[in-house]
Formats: sequence, C-alpha cells, structure tokens
Amino acid sequence: MKAAADFQTVVEMTRSIPCAPAILPKLLKLTEGSSSELGELEMLISLDTGLATNVLRTANSAYFANAQRCDSIADAILRLGSKTLYRIAASTLTGRWLVHPVRGYGWEPGDLCKHSLCVAICAETFAKSMHLADASTAYTAGLIHDLGKFALAYANFSVLDDIATRVPDEFGTWREAEMAVLGYDSMQVTKALLENWGFPPAFVSVGYHYMTPSEAPDQDRKLVTLIHAAKHLATQLGYGVGVDGFYSNPDERALVEAGFKEDEMDAAIPDILTAIQRFIRPDGSVHFT
Amino acid sequence: MVKVPHFSDEQTRTVIVGVADFKFTTDPTTILATYALGSCLGITLHDEKRRIGGLLHAMLPTAQLHKGKVVREAMFLDTGIQKALNSLVRAGAKKQDIRCKVFGGAQLMATDNFFRIGAKNIDMFYKISQMLELDVVAWEVSGRVNRTIKLSNQTGDVLVKIPTKPEFLR
Repeated sequence: MKAAADFQTVVEMTRSIPCAPAILPKLLKLTEGSSSELGELEMLISLDTGLATNVLRTANSAYFANAQRCDSIADAILRLGSKTLYRIAASTLTGRWLVHPVRGYGWEPGDLCKHSLCVAICAETFAKSMHLADASTAYTAGLIHDLGKFALAYANFSVLDDIATRVPDEFGTWREAEMAVLGYDSMQVTKALLENWGFPPAFVSVGYHYMTPSEAPDQDRKLVTLIHAAKHLATQLGYGVGVDGFYSNPDERALVEAGFKEDEMDAAIPDILTAIQRFIRPDGSVHFT
Repeated sequence: MVKVPHFSDEQTRTVIVGVADFKFTTDPTTILATYALGSCLGITLHDEKRRIGGLLHAMLPTAQLHKGKVVREAMFLDTGIQKALNSLVRAGAKKQDIRCKVFGGAQLMATDNFFRIGAKNIDMFYKISQMLELDVVAWEVSGRVNRTIKLSNQTGDVLVKIPTKPEFLR
C-alpha cells in the first residue's frame, strides 16, 4: 500500500538528517547526572565540532567569562553548569534543522527551529509556574514535539502541497487533512522517530498526543498538556508558524483539568517574549550564544 | 503620476520592526517591515503628504494585566498606539493626514476560554481607533494565517505575505 510504504520512507529518510536529535536523551541524562559523568559528557560534546565551538564560545562570552580564559570543554562544562550546557546543546543541535526551504508548510528556512524554540521556552515557563513537569524535560519536549512534520518536510513529498491547498475548504484541521491525503498523520511519524531514537516514553507520549492530551496515558498527561498549551501559545506569537499552524483544535478539557487559566497564560507572555528575544532577533535570525 | 512602491529596490532601505516594537521613518525610500504577526497586530500609520510612516507590532490588547511592572509600551495596543501617534506627530505628521492600516490577529479554531489573543486584539484596536478617531483605511485581520507586512513610506502601500500564497498590496 502506497501510504504505508511512504510512512516507512519518511522514518528511514530521517536517519540521514544531519545531526539527528538522537543525541538529546543521552545528553539530558548526562547533564542531570553526577560529576563522575563529566568525562562522558565532555566526550559526547567533543564529537560534534559545532556544538563544542558553541560551548566554548559561550563559556568565554562576556556573560560567563572571568579573568581566566576557558580553553577546554571540561573547563567550559564546569563554568557553564549543567542547565546552561543542556540548553546550548539542545538548541545548537535543533538549530540545524530545516535550514533549507521546504514545500507544503510554507516554512522559510529555519522556521521549524524558531517555532520549536518558542514552544520549548513557553513550556519551560509554564513548567516552572505551574509545577506540571520538570523544566528541562518540558524544554526538551517542546523542542522535539513536532519532529514528524520535520521528517515529512525533509522527505519533501509533493503531496504536502495537496494538504496545504485542501485544508481550508475540505478539512477542519491539518491533522484530518494529513490522514486523508497521507493515510497517517505527522504525530504517528513523530512517535516512530522518537521510539527509534530511544527517547523515554514520556517524550514519545508528547509527540503522539500533544494535539489531544486528553488521550494521553495518565502518567504523561500533565507533560503532554503542558506542551499542548505551550504549542498553542507559541503559535499565537507567530515565530516560524507555517500554513499549518492555526489549523488545530485546542483541547479545553485537558487544559482546564491541568489548571490552565487564560488570563494567567496571557499574563506570562511578556516574560516569555523577553526569553524568546534573547535567541531570536527582529530579522528572524536565531542565535544561541 | 502613479507612485509605484519598490519593495526590493536597491534604492530602498528596509528597517525591521521586532515583536513589541515600534519604528517610524521620515525617509521616503525606507521600507518598514515586520515578520510573522500571528495573533499580534501590525499597525501602519502613514502621512502621505509628508512621507512620514510608522509601524507598530503589538502583541497584547492592554497593559492593565501588568500593572506595577515595567512594560514596553509597544507590546500593548492601549499604550503602543498612543506612543506611535505621538511619535509621528512629533516628527512633523498631521494627525488629520495620518491613515492607518491594520493586519494580523490570526485566530486558532473556535474556543470559548483559551487562546483568544487575536480576537481580543482586534476588539481592542477597534475601540482605540474609535476613541482616537483614527482614519483606518484597511483591515486585513483574523483568519488562520500568519502575515508578514512591509510598509512603503513612499506610497503608504503595504505588501502582505502569507505562507504558500502570492504576495499582495493593501
């Protein structure tokens, strides 16, 4: 069957994506770990030239630098601390996604990276204020929540253009159009990718259920709802939002159950914007250091 | 003679307006641009006689929710529009010659209780435009689209870009 074969093609093609985010679960584990794992962390960072460069550059930036210059990854790890290090690493790795124009979604180069970053920052903010999940976990889940669309765009199927042209008139949501045109949706692709890359089950739940958190397993529902809320808030902010962005149905039941209130979410926006604008400049370019 | 806006001419200079930001120009060859409005509103103000134009990218309807905090005026419609008008008038524009155009305010699918920033922004702009007696000559708002806009200070025309759609002028 053509659709089933295409699904497998999408998953297989992402194996060749430059710097696949498969490194993230290991990085998260190591940055949360003990000092005895510093050597392994150093080795992991050193394997990636771009990442190592960004870590050193940040450690020597005006914000972090002291009188002594930091010349090694090991010193940089100690100076930056695990939280900052993880943020730099996660952002550097995902910042390489989709740097070319893609069809179907109307994304400009870098758009998915920008949008994912905004979702991550919104998720981190809500995690801290509402205590629904660990802030680092929420940040990572925000970064990777829509990998399925990334994979579909990377596969560059011409049928993505069909989805874009048929959504407003024939289908209420982007997901319905994906199911009708592809025979599967991008959340199924996200689930397959995250499972292949060894992400923990909670992240797989986020990828598979973030549009319908009410359907998430009980143990993951808070995190999934958090990403659902962050996704929609970030969509309203506009950064990197393609033609698909506004065609989704908020899950009000899940939001209410998790304790979200519209006024409180709106009130958080100025601080969220300030955090976003540390990384995204007015011309839309993204800078992580 | 018909004035043709040149949005990508070598003679023009493009100034980017960020989110929660306002900029204006008295240079006829300057283009003011802002990206990806989402549910925010992009409001252009233009005095064609004097070639003075401004662009506000406001994110939220009112600063009231943030009482007691230091706020960026351009982030909110109720503080940003007044700031924009004052800036243009100080630069030599006449209020009665200023024409406004409003863009953005995209909305998610119908919800009763969440994610209604687009609709709230549009309502607030309407109220403020009535209160300040603004001459609003174009409304390109609502819908489920992410708009990027560019104002030509030469003509007051605004180029609108929406993902996967052809650009058009308002």
